[in-house]
Amino acid sequence: MLNYAIKELLHRCRSYLLNVIVIGLVTAMVITLSCLGVAYKEAARLPFKDIQGTIIVQKNGNVPEIVSGVLLSCSLAPIHQDAVTAISKIDGAQDISSALSLWVFDADHFKRVVGVNWQDNYGKSLSSRVIEGAAPVTDQEVVVDKTYAGNNSLRVGSKVAVAGSQFSVSGIIGMAGNEIVAGDVYLNLAVAQDMAYLSKNLQAVEKVDKTDVNLIFINAGQQNLALVTQKIKQNLNDQDTNAGQTPLGQTIGNYNIYTPDTFEEQISTVLKLSDKLTWVISLILFIGACLIIARNTLRMVLERRKEFGVLKSVGYTGRDIQKLIGMETTLQVLTGFVVGLLLTGIAVFILSKTTVSIAIPWELSAYPHFLLANPEDANVVQTHFLPIRFDLLPVLATFLGVVIVGLVTAFLTTWQINKLKPMEILKYE
Amino acid sequence: MNSIVIVEHISKTLGDIRVIDDVSLDVKKGEFLAIQGPSGSGKTTLLALLAGLEKVDTGSISVGEQDLTSMSEDQLALFRRSNVGFVFQSFNLIPTLNVVENIALPLFPTSVPATEIFDRATKAAIAVGLTERLKHYPNQLSGGEQQRVAIARSLINNPQVIFADEPTGNLDTKTGEKIIELLRQLNREKNQTFVLVTHDDHIAGESDRIIKIVDGKIGE
Repeated sequence: MLNYAIKELLHRCRSYLLNVIVIGLVTAMVITLSCLGVAYKEAARLPFKDIQGTIIVQKNGNVPEIVSGVLLSCSLAPIHQDAVTAISKIDGAQDISSALSLWVFDADHFKRVVGVNWQDNYGKSLSSRVIEGAAPVTDQEVVVDKTYAGNNSLRVGSKVAVAGSQFSVSGIIGMAGNEIVAGDVYLNLAVAQDMAYLSKNLQAVEKVDKTDVNLIFINAGQQNLALVTQKIKQNLNDQDTNAGQTPLGQTIGNYNIYTPDTFEEQISTVLKLSDKLTWVISLILFIGACLIIARNTLRMVLERRKEFGVLKSVGYTGRDIQKLIGMETTLQVLTGFVVGLLLTGIAVFILSKTTVSIAIPWELSAYPHFLLANPEDANVVQTHFLPIRFDLLPVLATFLGVVIVGLVTAFLTTWQINKLKPMEILKYE
Repeated sequence: MNSIVIVEHISKTLGDIRVIDDVSLDVKKGEFLAIQGPSGSGKTTLLALLAGLEKVDTGSISVGEQDLTSMSEDQLALFRRSNVGFVFQSFNLIPTLNVVENIALPLFPTSVPATEIFDRATKAAIAVGLTERLKHYPNQLSGGEQQRVAIARSLINNPQVIFADEPTGNLDTKTGEKIIELLRQLNREKNQTFVLVTHDDHIAGESDRIIKIVDGKIGE
């Protein structure tokens, strides 16, 4: 019977080709859409790889009146230790790292300085990117960014002045320059905290303690991310409603919480689809496929009326014909699915060569735009190849979908055939 | 001779027309019976009723001690598969299957092993003189050869009766005579029972007995 089914499909390949193409296209579109959705989520996480976390917490602060000496970058507010402690008590908040990002307006030139705890996750991540020398061991040592080092002829062992103090360069760090919290000079957190604490210009606008930070990185994992983010917002955002706004329109004293979702919303492309929209489009595609295949199959039943009449006359029962149709449908569905997988493979390959651009919020990679000839140059954009790949789940889900299409087709076909009376067909054909 | 087909007072109405009207007859085992009648007399419908392709409205038909009147559609299909063969005027071969596969068609849904199916089909093809045409497709065969395939297909399940509806109707006279000769040969050599519908007096003359049907009734 399988031989019969195969021969029938080959004989009427033009008619069945439409079914195979429809199944193939629907398979390719649904899997590709689903893989795209996952890829954009993955892309939104890429900037977070640098900080070894999934949540970033900052606090909006006041703009200093005098821009000189040591200031918190981007007019951020200091985050006191009680807030760090409160975050550490939230279930699911793991691997909490903190840093202090400073703008240092020295007499020689401006520097972006980041105070780092080299023992936490963020610090370890930075240490791993030291390409020459080593991370600071003492408070008198710093590592400098390779571009900054190049521009200022610094090497390991060179001296560099920051906020009036001399430091020895213990290492060169290989940063791309567009990471979250990119700096020129990286030093021990306690040293940066002292600089901030002693800054009169800073203390004039914010009450800075010796243990304050202005960046908190939290690793909440993908599953707990939404819950932990919500709890952080609930715990921290109890600011004074009359606190005013920053030049960017953010509420002063309010905490900004960044997650991969923040970046996902930024990735503007017509191909970016929400999960719900992907499901709706997939459903519409499957229904459309069902209708096209059903129409084509019913037309085929009419063309093959005489053949089914012959089969019935020689003793084929309804179940026998169902089996034959089931085989023919299975062969079409499997062929269509394989074609769909091949098309998906091509689509995934092409899409993997495309790039996505992710704009890093200015507060996360702050450079004082007023120092630049073109303020737009302060905007930092990360460009990544779209991390799209074949995912098993959408493949299985789509396979289930095409099997359902096949079952519906087989059912409709058999239902139509069983209504045929053999003698009525054969007598008048 | 024992009766293999027993028909008692059957009637069949199609639409508003009473196509078969209180017909009774019997067919003996090994008999070569011809049913003759003008167009529209109901002979093809009678043949379809005897073969279990149609159901009677009233009366009863039994073939080889099996009562067809109480059978469901699927039971009738299984009955046809095991007990009867049918030869059509227009051959009704499957164009996508070759000669051997067309002959084997009734056995595909059975539990008979594939090798045995094709062995039996090949022997049946050889028996009807198609030794040189085993792998040919219907469109590569003459009308006479196609009808031979149809006859071999009707024989493949060793039926109790073979029903033939105008088996020479689409053939030229010479080829038609050869087909009737073949049916007669099978009848004599294998004691195979045949019931055939024809309007051709010459073919009817070759039969053991002729039943004439007019306006759905058996005439003398």
